[in-house]
Amino acid sequence: MIRLEKVSYSYPDGTPALENLNLVIKKGEFIGIIGKNGSGKSTLALQLSGLLKPQAGRVMIRGMDTRDPSKLPEIRKFVGIVFQNPETQFVGRTVEEDLAFGPENLCFSPMEIRKCVDMALAETGLEKYRHRSPKTLSGGQGQCSALAGVLAMRPECLIFDEVTSMLDPESGISVMEIIKKLHRKGKTIVYITHNLEELHDADRIIVMEKGKVMLEGEPKSIFSDISLKTLGFDLPSLIELAETLKTHGVIIPWEKTASPQSFAEEICQLFLKT
Amino acid sequence: MPIILENVSFSYSKKTPLETSALREINLRIEKGEFVGILGEKGAGKSTLTKLFNGIFKPETGIVRVDGLDPSSREAKRKIGMVFQQAADQLFCKTVYEEIAFGPLNFGYSKKETEQRVYEAIEAVSLDQTELSRDPFSLSGGEMQRVALASALALRPDYLVLDEPITGLDPIGKNDILKTLNRIKEKGTAVITVTHNLKGFFPLLEKIVLLREGRIAFQGSRESYLKKGFEPLPPIASMMKELGVRGLPVNLTVFTVEDALEEIMKLKSILGTDNNENK
Ligand SMILES: Nc1ncnc2c1ncn2[C@@H]1O[C@H](COP(=O)(O)OP(=O)(O)O)[C@@H](O)[C@H]1O
Ligand SMILES: Nc1ncnc2c1ncn2[C@@H]1O[C@H](COP(=O)(O)OP(=O)(O)O)[C@@H](O)[C@H]1O
Ligand SMILES: [Mg+2]
Ligand SMILES: [Mg+2]
Repeated sequence: MIRLEKVSYSYPDGTPALENLNLVIKKGEFIGIIGKNGSGKSTLALQLSGLLKPQAGRVMIRGMDTRDPSKLPEIRKFVGIVFQNPETQFVGRTVEEDLAFGPENLCFSPMEIRKCVDMALAETGLEKYRHRSPKTLSGGQGQCSALAGVLAMRPECLIFDEVTSMLDPESGISVMEIIKKLHRKGKTIVYITHNLEELHDADRIIVMEKGKVMLEGEPKSIFSDISLKTLGFDLPSLIELAETLKTHGVIIPWEKTASPQSFAEEICQLFLKT
Repeated sequence: MPIILENVSFSYSKKTPLETSALREINLRIEKGEFVGILGEKGAGKSTLTKLFNGIFKPETGIVRVDGLDPSSREAKRKIGMVFQQAADQLFCKTVYEEIAFGPLNFGYSKKETEQRVYEAIEAVSLDQTELSRDPFSLSGGEMQRVALASALALRPDYLVLDEPITGLDPIGKNDILKTLNRIKEKGTAVITVTHNLKGFFPLLEKIVLLREGRIAFQGSRESYLKKGFEPLPPIASMMKELGVRGLPVNLTVFTVEDALEEIMKLKSILGTDNNENK
C-alpha cells in the first residue's frame, strides 16, 4: 500500500537523513519503528506522509507518486501524521474547531465535516472537551486531540512520531489503547517510539540506523536479536527474563511476556500444575 | 545537614475560584548524599514539591529549610542545583560555555574560577570541549539535558534536584544521564529526582518518596517500599508482586532480571518437590 523504493533524502543544509531505503507497508499492518536519535525515523515519517519528497528513488502511496503535486490532496486524505508535541499542531480556538480544520481544508461538505468531527471526538473519548480550548488540555488529552484532528480527515493510514514519549505512563497507555483500537478497526499504523514495551503486539518492527533499515522482523525475533543491544537498546525486562529463563529450561511463551500479570499467571501454571 | 520540610502545604491561585491544593501536610527529610526518587501519578504534586526545595514557591503553611537556611536565600540557592523537566526552557545563552558559566558568574566567582568550574562540570556530564562554542538550541534533547545538568553542577551544589530528567530521550541518552547521575551521587552530591521511569532509576534509588493527591503516601528505603507492596513498580518487581498475589512464596524486594531468575529457579525447585510428594 505504501512503498519506498531506494529513497534517499538530505536536508537543505546537506545533512543526509535517508539513504537508499526500501520499505513496503501493507494495508492493515501495525509497524513499529525504533532507532537512535538522528537515525532518520522522523524523516521517514515525513516521507511516508508526502510532506517531504525524496531526492532519489520514489515513495508510492497507493499507486500515487509523492513527487506528483497533482496527487498531494489525495495523499493528504489518505495518510495522517501525529507528532510528539501536540501544541505545535493546534490551530482552532476550541477542540471542535480544531478538528474541523483538516476536513475543511480537504473541502469536505459541512455535513461531512460535522460527521467526521463527531466520529473523531467519539473515537478519542474527547466529547466532553469539544468546547474547551486545546491549549488548556493536559498532555494526554492534548495528544488525543491531535490524534482526533488527524482522524477527522478519515485517513486509512496513521503515522505516530513519538506521541507518548512526553506523557506519564497512565496517559501513554490510554493513548496507546486508542491507537490499538484504530488498528483493530483496520487502519494501517506506523508507530515510532523509544519504548519497546509498546511494540510487543506490533506486526513488524523496523530498526533504523544511519538512514537505513538495519533490522526488520516480528517483535519476537527482533527482541531476541542481540544486535539490538549493540545499538544501545535495553530489552523490555520481562522479555529479558523470559530469555534468561529459557536457558534454564523454563519456557515462557511470547504472548505471556506482554504484562507482569500474564507472566506471573504462566509461572503459576507451570509450577503449580499437578 | 539536611533539607527539611515541616507540615508544608501549598495551593495554586490562592483565594481565587481556581484555587488548587497541590501539597498538604508534607513532612520530609532529605539527607546529604542520598539518591531519592519522587514518585507518584500525574498531578500528585511532584513538580510542585521540587519547586519548594529551591524557594521558587513559598509554602502556604509550614517551613522549608535547606541546611538550616531559608531556601530563597542566596546562600541556599547556591546549595541546590535544579534541572527542570523541559531542559530547553531553562537554556537562554548564545553558547554552551556562557550557559554553564552563568551561575558561577552570577554568584560573583572570578572569570578564572568560573572557567575551572565550567570544565569540571562538562567533564562530569561527559560533554566534549568542542561543544562549548555551540548554540545550545542546536543540540539534541539528550545534549541539552546534559548542558542543563552541567549548568546546575557548576555551582557545586550539595543537592541536585531534577524533574523527569530522562523523559523523551532515546535509549542511549537515557543511559548516559543515568550513569552521569550515579557518578555525581558517588562524589557526594544528593540527587533528588522526580521520575516515571522506574526501570531506569530503580537500581539507583536509595530512598523513595511517594506522593498521592498532594500527600506523602510513603517515604523510606527502596526495600521497605517494595516489601510493603507500594506502586508504581518496575516491571520485574510488579511481576514478583503478582506471583505473591497468586500465593507463591516470593521475595518482594527483587526487581532485577538476575535476582528474579534466581527467585524463580528457587520456586521451581521447592514447588517441583512438593508436586512429587503429592503424587
Ligand atoms: N530540519 C532539519 N534540517 C537539517 N537536518 C535535519 C533536520 N531534521 C533532521 N535533520 C537531521 O537528519 C538526520 C535524521 O533526523 P531525524 O529523521 O529527525 O531522526 P530521528 O527522528 O530518528 O531522530 C539527523 O542527522 C538530523 O540531525
Ligand atoms: N501553575 C499551576 N496553576 C494551577 N494549578 C497547577 C499549576 N501547576 C500544577 N497545578 C496543579 O497542582 C497539582 C499538582 O501538580 P504538579 O505538581 O505539576 O504534579 P505532578 O508533577 O506530580 O504531575 C495538580 O492538580 C495540578 O493540576
Ligand atoms: Mg524524531
Ligand atoms: Mg510534573
